[in-house]
Amino acid sequence: MLEVRDLHVRFGQAHILQGVSLSVGERPVAIVGRNGMGKTTLCQAVMGLVATSEGGIAFGGRRLNGMPPYRIARRGVALVPQGRRTFPSLSVDEHLRLVAVPGASWNIERVYRTFPRLAERRRNGGAELSGGEQQMLAIARALLMNPKLVIMDEPSEGLAPVIVDQLIAVLRGLPADGMGVLLVEQNLRVATEVAEDVAIMVTGRIAAAMPAARLVGDQELQRRYLGVAAGGR
Amino acid sequence: MDLAATIVLNGLTLAALYFIVASGFSLIFGLMRVVNMAHGAMYLVAGYVGYSVFEPLYDHDLWYAWYAGLAAGVAFAAVFGALVQVLLLGWMQGQELRQALVTIGLSIVVADQLLAMYGGTPRQFFAPDAIFGSTRVPGIGGYPTFRLVQIGVAVAVGVGLWLLLNRTKLGMMIRAGVDDRQMLGACGVNVPLVGVAVFSLGAALAGLGGIIGATAQPLAMGADGRFLLISLVVVIVGGMGSVTGTALGAVLIGLAEQIGQAMFPTYSVVLTFVIMVVVLALRPQGILGRA
Repeated sequence: MLEVRDLHVRFGQAHILQGVSLSVGERPVAIVGRNGMGKTTLCQAVMGLVATSEGGIAFGGRRLNGMPPYRIARRGVALVPQGRRTFPSLSVDEHLRLVAVPGASWNIERVYRTFPRLAERRRNGGAELSGGEQQMLAIARALLMNPKLVIMDEPSEGLAPVIVDQLIAVLRGLPADGMGVLLVEQNLRVATEVAEDVAIMVTGRIAAAMPAARLVGDQELQRRYLGVAAGGR
Repeated sequence: MDLAATIVLNGLTLAALYFIVASGFSLIFGLMRVVNMAHGAMYLVAGYVGYSVFEPLYDHDLWYAWYAGLAAGVAFAAVFGALVQVLLLGWMQGQELRQALVTIGLSIVVADQLLAMYGGTPRQFFAPDAIFGSTRVPGIGGYPTFRLVQIGVAVAVGVGLWLLLNRTKLGMMIRAGVDDRQMLGACGVNVPLVGVAVFSLGAALAGLGGIIGATAQPLAMGADGRFLLISLVVVIVGGMGSVTGTALGAVLIGLAEQIGQAMFPTYSVVLTFVIMVVVLALRPQGILGRA
């Protein structure tokens, strides 16, 4: 579905992505790695939010490089961005109506059934929500576009553990809707419970890719790539 | 007492005109972050285009002459605004200084073309009989009906903009775009197209102001610069990108001008700028602006 091949992104002198190659098919893929390794830049590059300097991004056989974000979105890619980026001037309900596709599998009623908290807060503005509510809203906004691929950039960031469990349940259900998932996570538990395949990003490259189970079981690997102390996270 | 009431009413009718023009300016700035220095030129061009439609019809004593002129002026400004965005400014999205310079250049070209075509003689519309003449206002006496209509139009524009922004899908897109333009694009919204619509609407409001203004007082060269300046002052005082703020700014500036002219005519010009300086010093984002 998504094929990223030898992708480079530069911000002035800074060489952020240094040849990333990655493919996402039907099965969810998670990308883990420390801060500042280029994970967010990769998400933004696929969505067309940053310019790429070399390499290719193809989605369903079509090249995405240089396409404006709205056309990438209409081809079936949705982004849950880092920091949520909900619209402070729009109410919860307006966020949903802005992107909802009539008659699609994910519709506003289903969002309110899945995230009852959003239904309670439907009249509230995007700026009046708690961090967890904003995150649900950002996810709901992406799902309502009924994308073929949803990219999630650190969805568990700053969420209470009980909400993280709810998040994992929602994400695990997405492949059943025929949605591809590219999940960027610092939280190893979320990454490995959602995705069977994990890629590790180090200084702008995919340093290793492996089954999630192997990363979970190998603390030496975790220490080397993620800097996680034994028994941590 | 009569005099005071008249001055206040004069201030409010002037404020109504300022609001109509400045709301378009503020709308464009809010979404596009473009300081449209050609906003006054859109006011001027709409006035002249409207006049050239109005004049022959009026000579034939057709009752709809003024309405046709109004429609033509507003429509021309709307198309002109859309073209400016598509052909010029869309290519320099995010480069504020370049956009400001291009629109300054454009307004110079427009003003000179209008001078070449229409000459320097001031033009004035004659309002249709229904809104011409005078109306008795309690506490004041006879007052030009058209200036009261002006207030009505401004209120209608304000309510219309509020409904557009808060009750329509385009309004949701505009508000979301003001918050986070990039994310709106990632939601599948064709942001450049929304931009063209907003620019066109903003220019149409300048055009509406042009016709209304040229009915209340003669339209002449220099009105473009004057109304651009007024729009800038009004949105700086009221707060960029807020309809309510623009209304508040317009009322403050309109009243200040009229009261200043009545009480200390020599220095009245300074008053609006004193207000602007005070607002900038105490609340740089404008009275109702978001930081």
